[in-house]
Amino acid sequence: MRRYQALQLINELTADLPLVVTCAATSRELAAVETRDNHFYVLDSMGLVGSIATGLAIAAKGSDVQKVIGLEGDGSLFMNPNVLPTGGFLSPNRLFLILLDNQVYGSTADIPTYADRVDLGAIAEASGWTVGRADDEASFRSEYARLLNTAGPTFLHMRIEPGNATDVPKLLVDPVTITNRFQAWFTHRLGQGTEVNA
Amino acid sequence: MSSLTYAQAAAQGIWNSQVDEIGYIPSVTVAPVIDHLVELDGGNNGRSSHVNPLSREEEAVGVIGALPLAGKFGAVVMQDNGFGNNITALTTFSISYHLPMLIFANTRGSLGEYNSMIHSVSQPAPDLLRRLGLPVIELDRRSSAQDWEDTVSEAGNHAKMTYRPVIVLGSFWNTDGKVA
Repeated sequence: MRRYQALQLINELTADLPLVVTCAATSRELAAVETRDNHFYVLDSMGLVGSIATGLAIAAKGSDVQKVIGLEGDGSLFMNPNVLPTGGFLSPNRLFLILLDNQVYGSTADIPTYADRVDLGAIAEASGWTVGRADDEASFRSEYARLLNTAGPTFLHMRIEPGNATDVPKLLVDPVTITNRFQAWFTHRLGQGTEVNA
Repeated sequence: MSSLTYAQAAAQGIWNSQVDEIGYIPSVTVAPVIDHLVELDGGNNGRSSHVNPLSREEEAVGVIGALPLAGKFGAVVMQDNGFGNNITALTTFSISYHLPMLIFANTRGSLGEYNSMIHSVSQPAPDLLRRLGLPVIELDRRSSAQDWEDTVSEAGNHAKMTYRPVIVLGSFWNTDGKVA
């Protein structure tokens, strides 16, 4: 499975959950699958998705939001692996990180990452996350369902093939429009029903 | 007139700005600030319900800076040399997405400093941050602890009003605190 197919699957499963998405090809391809109010595209800030998802999972404490999902790539997670010990330490119940691991920097000419020698799932496990592993649609669906219902930080390590979708347009939007759209959706979803920026 | 120490005044000012969560990256200078933040939140040993350590300044911008997306507001306590670690996150995330946040950072590399190289990052930090469009408010021995409390508190309000991070730099030299 390539990233685009994995994103179609993830989009199908996350209609009612906040989804924080890593930069470049992953954001572009997800927006091409469907652009929705619950998507927060991190257009730059490579490596920050897990930190942002951690903050939102802390903010969602006490709500009926089942999980806040961060969608990362292996190259991006290697840029800020601190996400894993911090998530394990703070241990927000609603934190769920999905790693699409194709072992290359997909937006940077497919240069290999460390992922063929270093197992990010094992690092997550050692940091206190509940880890699931998948490499096809059936195993992804099964592990996703299990981890969605597991309290504490959960990490789904999905192996995919390298390769970007073709003819996907660049995501040329003002970031503040993403803020306003996502914030309105998420604050409403949290039951606050307000659209405030602070 | 406040009977608080400068560190306690900074901590009180942070809580006064109605933060929901606080993340910190420790330094010996801000340790008394952190202790007071934790104490006021009913915790101990550097941890409480709403005050937590984070591993790096960049990560703090992600975790705490994301809170406004959920209708909440947060503060980061750090040391000024850590701005070298979080400038990309501050610009491409907080500023670009219009997300308010209060940052209180102690200064290093000036009067009272023993370290022979930390000035190389700390001295240009205020100008660098201003050049990036971030408001920087500087406090030192010349104003009272009460002024520190009021300024930190109002800096939080200013962040909310202007939808961006606001940075308060506190120099503890010749106050009742310590530089390093």
